[in-house]
Amino acid sequence: MAAQTIAEAAIYEGLEAQAFPFFGAERRGAPVMAFCRIDDKKISVRTQVYQPDMLVVMDESLLDIEPVADGLKPNGSAVVNTKLSPDKVDLGIRVKCVSVDATTVALEMLKAPIVNTAILGAMAKANDIVTLESIKKAIASRFGEHLGEEAGRINAAAAQAAYDRAVLGESAAQRPIVKKRAWTPTWQDIPPGVALGQADMNGLKVGPGSAFQVRTGTWRTRTPRYLREKCVRCAKCWFICPDAAISRESDDHIQIDYDHCKGCGVCASICPAKAIEMAKGAKL
Amino acid sequence: MTIKVLSGDHAVAYAVKLCRADVIPAYPITPQTLIIEKISDFVNDGEMDATFMPADSEHSAMSMAIGAEATGVRTFTATASQGLALMHEMLYVAPQTRLPIVMANVNRSLGAGSGIWAEYNDSMPERESGWMQAYVEDSQEALDTIIQAYRICEDPRVMLPMMVCLDAFVLSHTVEKVLVPEQAEVDSFLPRFRPLNVLDPADPKFINIAVSPAHSMEMRYQLDHQMRQAAPMINLIDEEFGKHFGRRYGGMIERYRMSDAEHALITLGSATSTARVAVDQLRAQGRKVGLIKLRYMRPFPHQEIQEAVKGVKALGVFDRSIALNGFGPVFTEVRNSVYRQGMPVTNHIAGIGGRDLTIPTFVQMFDKIEQSANALERECYWHGLRGEM
Amino acid sequence: MSGKPMTIKSMPQDDQLISGHGACGGCGLSTAVNNVLRILGPNTVVYAPASCFLVFSAMYPTSALKVPFIYSAFENTGAVISGISAGFRKQGKDVTVVGIAGDGGTFDIGLQAVSGAAERNDDVIYVCVDNEAYMNTGTQRSGSTPFGAWTTTTPVGKKVQGKREHKKDMMSVITAQDVPYAATLSIAHPNDFVRKVEKAKAIEGFRFLHIMTPCTSGWKTEPSITYELARLAVETGMWTLYEVENGEKKITYRPKEMMPVENYLKLQGRFKHMSKADIEELQKWLCKRWNRHYNPNMVNGEGQEQKELAYAGEESEGL
Repeated sequence: MAAQTIAEAAIYEGLEAQAFPFFGAERRGAPVMAFCRIDDKKISVRTQVYQPDMLVVMDESLLDIEPVADGLKPNGSAVVNTKLSPDKVDLGIRVKCVSVDATTVALEMLKAPIVNTAILGAMAKANDIVTLESIKKAIASRFGEHLGEEAGRINAAAAQAAYDRAVLGESAAQRPIVKKRAWTPTWQDIPPGVALGQADMNGLKVGPGSAFQVRTGTWRTRTPRYLREKCVRCAKCWFICPDAAISRESDDHIQIDYDHCKGCGVCASICPAKAIEMAKGAKL
Repeated sequence: MTIKVLSGDHAVAYAVKLCRADVIPAYPITPQTLIIEKISDFVNDGEMDATFMPADSEHSAMSMAIGAEATGVRTFTATASQGLALMHEMLYVAPQTRLPIVMANVNRSLGAGSGIWAEYNDSMPERESGWMQAYVEDSQEALDTIIQAYRICEDPRVMLPMMVCLDAFVLSHTVEKVLVPEQAEVDSFLPRFRPLNVLDPADPKFINIAVSPAHSMEMRYQLDHQMRQAAPMINLIDEEFGKHFGRRYGGMIERYRMSDAEHALITLGSATSTARVAVDQLRAQGRKVGLIKLRYMRPFPHQEIQEAVKGVKALGVFDRSIALNGFGPVFTEVRNSVYRQGMPVTNHIAGIGGRDLTIPTFVQMFDKIEQSANALERECYWHGLRGEM
Repeated sequence: MSGKPMTIKSMPQDDQLISGHGACGGCGLSTAVNNVLRILGPNTVVYAPASCFLVFSAMYPTSALKVPFIYSAFENTGAVISGISAGFRKQGKDVTVVGIAGDGGTFDIGLQAVSGAAERNDDVIYVCVDNEAYMNTGTQRSGSTPFGAWTTTTPVGKKVQGKREHKKDMMSVITAQDVPYAATLSIAHPNDFVRKVEKAKAIEGFRFLHIMTPCTSGWKTEPSITYELARLAVETGMWTLYEVENGEKKITYRPKEMMPVENYLKLQGRFKHMSKADIEELQKWLCKRWNRHYNPNMVNGEGQEQKELAYAGEESEGL
């Protein structure tokens, strides 16, 4: 939706633009990508974007788990949703960087941590292609159409607020940009029949049970805290956890696997003894 | 070996029994029903140790075959026309998951008019599904090709499914003499099925999950490679079949009076028999005509045809179906194969909707082929059509 | 079955659907599948049609399932599991064969295949995880979507708001075929859930487990209230817990009194547009079904009378 909105804003500027998602299955809370391409003439390219001029990171926790700046042009720019100042934002590459606490803006103005409109305002600070005015107009149009005129107006105001609070600077380049491990076999090497048993391929586990290496704990925005002394050892939280992220000790006290817990909080809601409470943030 | 008088459908049923198919899910459709009725008889009489599964549709029948085959058993199913069309979605799954299911398809015209007679517009569109396709000429070849099919499909170098196609009524319901091999003979030719991937809790695998663009292209190329590799295996296994049973079919194609032929026709299915007679008649008149019987549409015998038509001055291709505003599918494939060889190639559409194919029809085809050697009048003829083309 | 029925305290703890799968946080479906498979154990083969379950549990080359797994299409769960079962039985192998399909894959496109498997009494367990719409494709209406609900194909328009038809009674469709065992399950009733899966596992022939699985994205709800929604569904009559064994129906949980459906609706974005009249319509339908289910010997009345039998709650004021 943010990529579509920035494309619409560019079109208001008299430019050509296209916006598209990464084509794949999307799940609520899972990291996703979207792309926007802007030009002053008709865009014929329909490939994905590998070397962007601008990078927008809506969730700073992604910096620790994905090489988000991989491919970003050295003369490009980045917009990051964070409380940190730009020089504290470690992208692994030193580029023009706008930092903005879009989450706080969204919570204040939209009463929900939905940052995709606020962040657009900050984008206006990082480039001279699309103006804040066009962005606000595009937000009013796209969000207004879906959620009503009032919602369009509030979201546009959120973009303005983010623009005002955004800080322009340069990012840090401390961390190395490590490309994700992938198993990309040749046609001779790919096992026949779209079938796989448990195996290790280039250090990547494949086959049944291999999803365990996926750290879904990074999705978390709230974190369960286990109050052992209150626990009545009923095992209901273990039963209800959609992610098998709770295990039972021999006496049915529990342990939480924070590598995989998505922070949904269903465990806390089923607990008859209030022995699990949900704390804000990805960590305790 | 026993001599029996069998219809094409019953010959298929006997072959399936001899091949010891384990699980047979099927749904009735004319003119295939004789096959599964006969198999049901075998099973209920205790003559065949198999599970017959009365499916709720052809889509379900193929789904059941896929499920059963994935546990490592030998499966069989049969269908025709609309039934094959209903299976379409499932057909693509079996080759990609490398499940070597064998199926009989009784070719019957597909579409409006509810024709139940022979035409190839049901199976030809499935050439891209990844199934091998054999077309047979008579009841004996139907029986023998089913036996060959299991050998070919389950060969570790192939591991692909096959549909064995036989013409509605002309073969399915026509009785003739069939040599039925003894069980021991078939057992010595056809070893036990050794699956590639199986569902086994002791060695868990997944078979067919969501695949992204990062892997699917290599999988598809592998399948293409596999299909190409199947052609020499078909030739080899036909040869071996000959050693076991004393009769063989030439593998991918059969050449009939081709050694010095100048004008040749390519046919498939039951039409070949009548075309042979036409060739004999014309040869008797001193005309240098010959016949190539196409046994497989997938894999397609590109090399074999290129070899066979060396020295031919004009080539004709018989088709019993038509891609509208185009050509028959066999013609399209053949012309692709021989385009470097330069001779004129003409398409001869006939027998549509099961219209009877007579000797004069084939004589007329040869007339047109001979004519095309001198001057190409047109590329595609419909034979037996009322009204000007 | 001998001894005490299984409970969550005594059930097997080994996960067959493990952590790392890609379901949304708070996904009711993963809770359901995880626990079904814990009880069925490692000697199980799973078939899934096109569904959320397929996509979140297995994307080549990784998979969150430890047991053998196969997929092929959308509408054929009943057929493929029948085939798998036949293959194993022919080889004399005792493997539990389970198909796990969504409501779309069962109520709509897969109805023929599931009915075929039930009629043939094939030796399989068919699990329908019911989240009341086509969630995997982004929340389109299915035959299971309740009256009034927003979906992308029953949008809240200027002229028409939400789905105009009531939910199909899939359990009745299945139990009309006299299958050995069919039961409805709720993740908010763990011990009832566990007992039914254990029972189904031990029975031979066609078994049907229908599980209501709240869906945080499609129902537009907070992930943390998944359990509460599953619980309220039962208290309001939007879901009922019972089992049918060889034709005999047994209610396995009876709410003390019927809770107004509004308590359930107001927690969910998919119902937030519902008018007073629509809530009333849904409530009446629920009351009728409540009476038919919990008070089958009462005289069938109409409208208000029906409602009185069911509950004496407040009139709805709309959401």
